[in-house]
Amino acid sequence: MNEQALIRDAQNGDLDAFNTLILHYQDSVFNTALRILGDHDLAADVTQDAFISAFKSINSFRGGSFKAWLLRTVTNACYDELRRQKRRPTTPLEPDTDDGEEMDSPRWLADPGMTPDQKAEADELEHAIQHCLDNLPMEFKTVVVMADLQGLDYSEVAVAVRVPLGTIKSRLARARLRLRECLQGFAELLPSVFRLGEESTA
Amino acid sequence: MKQRDLELLSSYLDGQLSSADSARLEARLRTEPGLRSVLQDLRGARSVLRQLPMRKAPRNFRLTPQMVRKNPPLPRAYPMFRFATTLATLLLFFTFGLNYLGPQLASQPPAFGMGGGGEPDTFAAESAQVEEAPGAELPATEAPAEEPSVAMAPMPTASAPAEDSARTAETTTTQTDEAGNVIGEGAAELQPQPASAQTAPPVSPVWQWILAGVALLSAFVMALMRQLAINRWRRRN
Repeated sequence: MNEQALIRDAQNGDLDAFNTLILHYQDSVFNTALRILGDHDLAADVTQDAFISAFKSINSFRGGSFKAWLLRTVTNACYDELRRQKRRPTTPLEPDTDDGEEMDSPRWLADPGMTPDQKAEADELEHAIQHCLDNLPMEFKTVVVMADLQGLDYSEVAVAVRVPLGTIKSRLARARLRLRECLQGFAELLPSVFRLGEESTA
Repeated sequence: MKQRDLELLSSYLDGQLSSADSARLEARLRTEPGLRSVLQDLRGARSVLRQLPMRKAPRNFRLTPQMVRKNPPLPRAYPMFRFATTLATLLLFFTFGLNYLGPQLASQPPAFGMGGGGEPDTFAAESAQVEEAPGAELPATEAPAEEPSVAMAPMPTASAPAEDSARTAETTTTQTDEAGNVIGEGAAELQPQPASAQTAPPVSPVWQWILAGVALLSAFVMALMRQLAINRWRRRN
C-alpha cells in the first residue's frame, strides 16, 4: 500500500483511495475508540463518524504520521461523545456485574482454541483493564491508549493530542502508575496473568 | 517518589532517554531499591496493557458517497449555464426597474441643490423675467428644474426639453399678457408629459420576454444536466 499516494488521491476527493486507508486503519481506530469509551456499539458509531470527519478534513493533513492524525480525529470524536453523554446521561441496557460495573465481555472475539477457563480468564483480565482505564482521567487515558495500546511513539502521541512532549512523558508515567495501583486490586482475581513484578527487564 | 524520577523511569522503559541519561539512571537503579520497585510497577502496568486483545472492527467502516454527501461531478458547461441564468435574471429585473423608475425620474423635480444649482445666471435672469409678471412664481421655478431631469434621462424624453422651453417661453409670454388666469392653462399643458413617457418604456417588452426566455431555458438545461449527472453517479456507485 502506497500510503502517501492514497492520501494524495483522497485529498483530491478520491473516496476509493480513502476507503483503502480505512481498511488499513479501521482496527486501530476502532480499538482506540473502544478503550476510551469502554462501549462496543458506541465505539463503532464514533469510529464511523471519525472516518467521515477525517475524509471531510483530509486536506488539513500536512504530512507526518497519518495514523497519529487519524487517532487524533477519533479521540476528538470520543471527547464529543463523552461531552454529549454528560449533557444527556442514559441508562445502559447491558447487565451489570456484582460490583455495579457494566459488563463488556468480548465473548464474540474469543479464540476458539481456548478452553472455557482460559476464555473466562481472558474476559476477566480485559474487564479489569478496561475498568482501570475507565477510572483514569481522560487526558491520561488518551495518552496511555495511544502509547501502550496503539504503539505510537512519544512524538506521534504529542502530535495526536496536541500537547508538548514533556506533558506526554509526564501523563504517561502517571497514568501507568495509577493503572498499576488499580490493577493490584485484581491480583487475586487474576493470579495466573497478573504477575507484574516477575517480568524480566525490557 | 519525585515526579521527575517517575518520568525518567517511564521514558527509560520506552527507550526514550539519551544514552547518558540512561547510564545515570541505571547507576541509580543499582543503588536505590525504591527506584527499582517503581520501575517494576511501571513495566508491569505497561505489560498488562499490552495484553489487551486488539479487537477486530465489528463491521466495515468504508464510506459511501452518500455518507460524505459528495456531489456528483457536473459537466463542464454547467457553470456557463449558471452564469447565463444569473445574468439574464439580473438584467430582467433591471429592465423592470428601469421601465418603472425611468419615467418617474424624468418627470420628478430634483431635490434642492441638485442640478439647478449649476446655472445661477440663467436662474437669476429667469427670476428677473418672472418678477415682471406678478403671480407667475410656479412656472418660473419649474423651468430650471426641468433641465436637469432631462439631462438625467436623455433617451426617453429627448423631445421634452424642446417642448418644455417652448412651453415655458409661451407661458411666460402669455403670463405677461393675461396675468394670473393663463397660469392654469400653462400648467395643464405640462401635465400630459409623464403620460407620453409611460406609453414608451425605455426597454421594450420584447427584450424582457427574450431575457425571461433565456433565464428559464438556462435554468431548465441546468436542472437537466444535474439530474443526468446524479443518475449517472448513482449507477456508478
